[in-house]
Amino acid sequence: MHDEPLLSVSNLTVDLLTAKSAIRPVDGVSYTVRQGECLAIVGESGSGKTVMNFAPLGLMPTGVTTQLSGSVRFDGHELIGLSEPELQHIRGKSIGFIFQDPMSALNPVRRIGRQIAEMAELHLNMTPRAAEARALELVKLVGISDPAARLRQYPHELSGGLRQRIVIATALAGEPKLLIADEPTTALDVTVQAQILRLLKDLQKRLNMAMVLITHDMGVVAGAADNIVVMYAARTAERGPVDKVLVTPRHPYTRGLINAIPRREDPIGSEFRGLPGIPPTLGAPIKGCAFAPRCDLAIPACTGSRPPLVQSVDSSVVVACPVVNQGRAAA
Amino acid sequence: MNKLKPILAQLNKFPRIALIVIGLFVALGTFAPWLAPQDPSAQNLLTASQGPSVAHWLGTDHLGRDTLSRLILAANTSLVSVGSVLIIAMTIGILMGTIAGYHRGWVDDLLMRVVDVGLSIPSLITALAVIGIVGPGYWTMVLALALAWWPMSGRISRAVAVSIMSKPHIEALRVLGASPWRIYFGHLLPGTIGAVMVYATADAGTAALAVATLSFLGLGIQPPTPEWGQMLVDALPYLESDPRQVILPGLALTAAVIGFNILGEAIALNRVPRPLTRRMLAMRRTEVAGWSKENSDA
Amino acid sequence: MIHFISKRLKHSLVLLFLASVVCFTLVVSAPGNVAVLIAELRGAVAVPGYVAQVEEEIGLNKPLLMRYVDWLGDAVTGDFGISYRTGQAVSADLPQRMMVTGTLIAGSAVIATLLSLLLGFLGAFWPYKLPDRVSRGLALIGASTPTFFVGALMIYGFSVTFQLFPSFGFNGPISWVLPWLTVAVLPAAVLSRVVRVGLEEAMTSPYVLTAKSKGLGRTAILFREALPNITPVFINALGTQVGLMTATGIIVEPLFAWQGVGDYFLAGVRFRDFMVVQACLLIFLSFFIVVNLIVDLAVLMTDPRIRRQWS
Ligand SMILES: Nc1ncnc2c1ncn2[C@@H]1O[C@H](COP(=O)(O)OP(=O)(O)OP(=O)(O)O)[C@@H](O)[C@H]1O
Ligand code: SF4
Ligand SMILES: [Mg+2]
Repeated sequence: MHDEPLLSVSNLTVDLLTAKSAIRPVDGVSYTVRQGECLAIVGESGSGKTVMNFAPLGLMPTGVTTQLSGSVRFDGHELIGLSEPELQHIRGKSIGFIFQDPMSALNPVRRIGRQIAEMAELHLNMTPRAAEARALELVKLVGISDPAARLRQYPHELSGGLRQRIVIATALAGEPKLLIADEPTTALDVTVQAQILRLLKDLQKRLNMAMVLITHDMGVVAGAADNIVVMYAARTAERGPVDKVLVTPRHPYTRGLINAIPRREDPIGSEFRGLPGIPPTLGAPIKGCAFAPRCDLAIPACTGSRPPLVQSVDSSVVVACPVVNQGRAAA
Repeated sequence: MNKLKPILAQLNKFPRIALIVIGLFVALGTFAPWLAPQDPSAQNLLTASQGPSVAHWLGTDHLGRDTLSRLILAANTSLVSVGSVLIIAMTIGILMGTIAGYHRGWVDDLLMRVVDVGLSIPSLITALAVIGIVGPGYWTMVLALALAWWPMSGRISRAVAVSIMSKPHIEALRVLGASPWRIYFGHLLPGTIGAVMVYATADAGTAALAVATLSFLGLGIQPPTPEWGQMLVDALPYLESDPRQVILPGLALTAAVIGFNILGEAIALNRVPRPLTRRMLAMRRTEVAGWSKENSDA
Repeated sequence: MIHFISKRLKHSLVLLFLASVVCFTLVVSAPGNVAVLIAELRGAVAVPGYVAQVEEEIGLNKPLLMRYVDWLGDAVTGDFGISYRTGQAVSADLPQRMMVTGTLIAGSAVIATLLSLLLGFLGAFWPYKLPDRVSRGLALIGASTPTFFVGALMIYGFSVTFQLFPSFGFNGPISWVLPWLTVAVLPAAVLSRVVRVGLEEAMTSPYVLTAKSKGLGRTAILFREALPNITPVFINALGTQVGLMTATGIIVEPLFAWQGVGDYFLAGVRFRDFMVVQACLLIFLSFFIVVNLIVDLAVLMTDPRIRRQWS
């Protein structure tokens, strides 16, 4: 039993119902994360990374209705079907969250100290005094200079990097077993990005947490993650250990992503090698392979039915592309 | 017929109840003289202060006048006065607003400062001050209220005018050498009038309240012309014995104002996303139910 | 901070000066000869030379600027001249009247604040559910019912039908209840919408999602996260409503036979007693300016973003 992963998501499907439309931004996705492990989720903007991680915990903005199916098991408990108060119990305490934009994630009219300390009061049953002390500790932990002064400040008085550190400190305040970080560096300066990533990686190791790191930057994945899920248009394209997927990417989309990483040997000023084309707009599930319009390996059969995830040469990697998988069979 | 369609589509965006109430108010106000079952000023002290009867559906007031007829006629009084106030106020407001929006610079600063001051003083106080200086009377009331009302439309017209002036096609016209007059009368003014009219309609409720309030205070519409506020104050001394005569005009006025206020609330941009209505939700659910679910992770 | 306050004070002084000019001009520009009017009111218009005597008496023959300086000097010391109608000093019972109006506005402001917070929070707590609809309906009715009708209903309901409160007079707290409630209805309705819409808007902000991710419940989020964010907005709206209460007072004071400033102003308007109109107007305008000053300072205290700009 102790072998069960901390988080195991299987066949998760999320439908979002809004006044304008109904869309399925997450379509039958599965993955697991073990204690102390880091899973990277990569994919272009709009591929469903945020929804996949936040919708099962009831963290969708107002104005949308969420419909979930499949299973999300966390720490031995099924999350899908839980009531809002039950979910509230898990949020913050067992799972910490870091949002995409640190600029707007903090309450502008409340002191930073309070925003961190209330977590400790709530989840660790601390007195306000003890919670303040804990907040100070946390702010030191995330490497902020002059911590005591920072606690008395308001968010707008801090730079983006500092704010993100505060957000991280807040997420850690409840001593969570799992940390979900949604593009924690996207909104920051390039120089700060590296620092924050190093910090996250370091904290994860030290606190022996599990971490889900959402990003659309392949470069980030290489240094930080153990496993990777490549998302394309609401579905998993490829999944496996980072050292395998990054070294020998199989799915044409993964290859494209890795090719798009700027290389040192690129002549300065050379054209940015992005993927050609744009991802489909989400709506009803796409019948065949969603990547077909942009794929150079596409054959007519690709648009016929949805390609299943199949184990590739290496059994730890699964790929949703029959063309590639058959290539393996032929070889 | 085809021209009506866009108008109907436009109207459909507003709450139906508001449109019904406003339509009723306007219809009553316009056709009141033909709709009133009896002469609203015919007195008969023998039948004074009576309850509802076949002859007088809503009873009679302390002078024996038919209350229903007076209530209907009052809609006419209200509609005409409110219309006059708003037309005058909008004319001033649109002129000032478009001039400010066209010229910008110090003209804009000065006019908007005046508008700010005007808006910060309650309209009743402005109107009463004018009446106090000039002396009461129907047209004094209309002008005094217009004076209190124009800053609102002034501010809105300026905002609209500024946004129109910053549109690329105006810039193009300028570059092509169109005269300021053509830009002003051909583009700026018509565009602004359209936008301000909608807001003015929503504001008609408060204007009706102001007319009734001044009449209640004896400084607006004078007896024997029936008007809701004035009917109410007329009946106030008999509140204990005949509350109906106080309550009916009050309710009529409140109903009209509610209609305009619902419209106003619908117009005021709502930036907040709302949860789906139950019907919407059911629709989306059936839509999603048709989508296949397959487990790709065999 | 100090910088802001001193700047804001200067601004208020300029406004006060402008207000005094407006009040002065209004009376100076009144149509008709004031001296004749006074002579008429005193019933001595036919007496030869009396009009000239009145002119002399009220300083009409001095240059305009001099008259303004004289008038302002007097007004600052609380002397608003002689009432045309009664011949008494305008300021005779002004302090008492200001106390009455102050009682009215203060009580109503408290009631309106409490009521609007209650209604607004009910709506925000159960958005689009029954409590929200009720609160919204009440707000709509409250904002649409003319104040004089509200007053009449209050008197009919609480004084005629159930004899709970007196329908007129200014004799202690029991007699204050109905006027307070009457004045409070409109601002409570308007402010409840400010609270409701402000809270809902705040509840859609990203920081609320963060708060939710921290495991806070809806109540905690409403009070700890959303409320501090709408406080400056609420204070601003409350300031506007308190200003508006002077106007409502003009209707309500006579209705309940209260001798306040509003009642005085109305009488001045009725009898075209310019000196009274002028004095009351100056009091009203000064009140707005002071309320605005207090509001700005209060917003400064409650919004760290603005505070930062000025520190
Ligand atoms: N609140 C919402 N209302 C409506 N649609 C939404 C909402 N949130 C997300 N979506 C839709 O769901 C899809 C997936 O969005 P999601 O935010 O998960 O993408 P993402 O992979 O996180 O992208 P990014 O890298 O930009 O963060 C998008 O097409 C988006 O339009
Ligand atoms: S299934 Fe076909 S279209 Fe999709 S990735 Fe593979 S080859 Fe390309
Ligand atoms: Mg995202």
